[in-house]
Amino acid sequence: MDPILEQIYATILPSAPYVIAAYALMWGALLVYVIYATVRMKKVESQIAVLQNTLDKATSTKTNSDFAAQTQEVQDESESIKKK
Amino acid sequence: MAQTNKNRRGQMPSRGQTASRGQTALSTADKIAPVILVLGAILSVLGFVLAFTIAPPVNGARVDGIAIIGDQMVGNQMLFSQKIFYFHMPVAITSFLALGVAAFYEIRYLMTKDSDYDLKAHLATEVSLVFVVMVMFSGEMWERFEWGVWWTWDPRLTTYFILMLLVIGYFVLRAAVDDPEKRASYASVFGIITFIDVPICFMITRLVPSSVHPTIFRTDSGLSTEMMIPLMCAMFGMLFISYGLFRWRLRTERAQEELDRMKQTLDE
Repeated sequence: MDPILEQIYATILPSAPYVIAAYALMWGALLVYVIYATVRMKKVESQIAVLQNTLDKATSTKTNSDFAAQTQEVQDESESIKKK
Repeated sequence: MAQTNKNRRGQMPSRGQTASRGQTALSTADKIAPVILVLGAILSVLGFVLAFTIAPPVNGARVDGIAIIGDQMVGNQMLFSQKIFYFHMPVAITSFLALGVAAFYEIRYLMTKDSDYDLKAHLATEVSLVFVVMVMFSGEMWERFEWGVWWTWDPRLTTYFILMLLVIGYFVLRAAVDDPEKRASYASVFGIITFIDVPICFMITRLVPSSVHPTIFRTDSGLSTEMMIPLMCAMFGMLFISYGLFRWRLRTERAQEELDRMKQTLDE
């Protein structure tokens, strides 16, 4: 290789590992944070879905029991009217 | 009864939280945040590619002659390590701006005692910490190759190192105080003090001319258009990513508070 070109390109190859490491570490740090944010978001979303499901079930159970109680009341009232 | 109205951080719900209670609709900022995040990612990748393709290498020390490379006379070493700069500076500016945003919300918190401002300040500082770490990583690699050392007490490096310690200290302080009101107040004051280091760090290369760290952010920076394009792509890319991440984390933390409220309702 031409000695002048050799001098011109002297720092290219030795600096390459540092350039690669700099970008890898930068993107790596950002990726770690993105993964942390994603995991946290997914966790919260799944907890909300479970809780919403539980709340819906509880509400529907309550509605069914209310309906049964109302039916019983109507039946009792009709029974008392018949007796009279 | 007052206990049941408090949020996860033990504070009274803010006006924003009270208004959004029971609502699942996203705000405009939350709707555009993913778009901005993706745009930031595209700009960053573009900046990265352009930094290694169209941006010419910077000249280093003179060599013992001249060679013709691509129809150009070259008499200096080519500095490949300078490619780190295309992201090092945008990331540093982003960390400064994120701390500025945090300081704004900290001042707003101290003025209003609205816990939503404390949450925003906390998350802005969290995002700034990510960018501070990125600055330290990239700076270390450049410094090791160009200056031959892992660390030197250069004014810019020292002030930025202090800034990093202050940002870490912010989270240590938050973790150390149990009372939510006191934690928010102490953290806000500490965050504002942290921000004081930002202009010092930014201006230090101008204030101390002996600093070996170059002063890049100036009108006569000597950057050609081919260098400015990847730099601006990286700059806006990083700014958009930081905003997108901030809004994303804010949405998560607000969802967490909504979850805690639902749990309280279920317990009652």
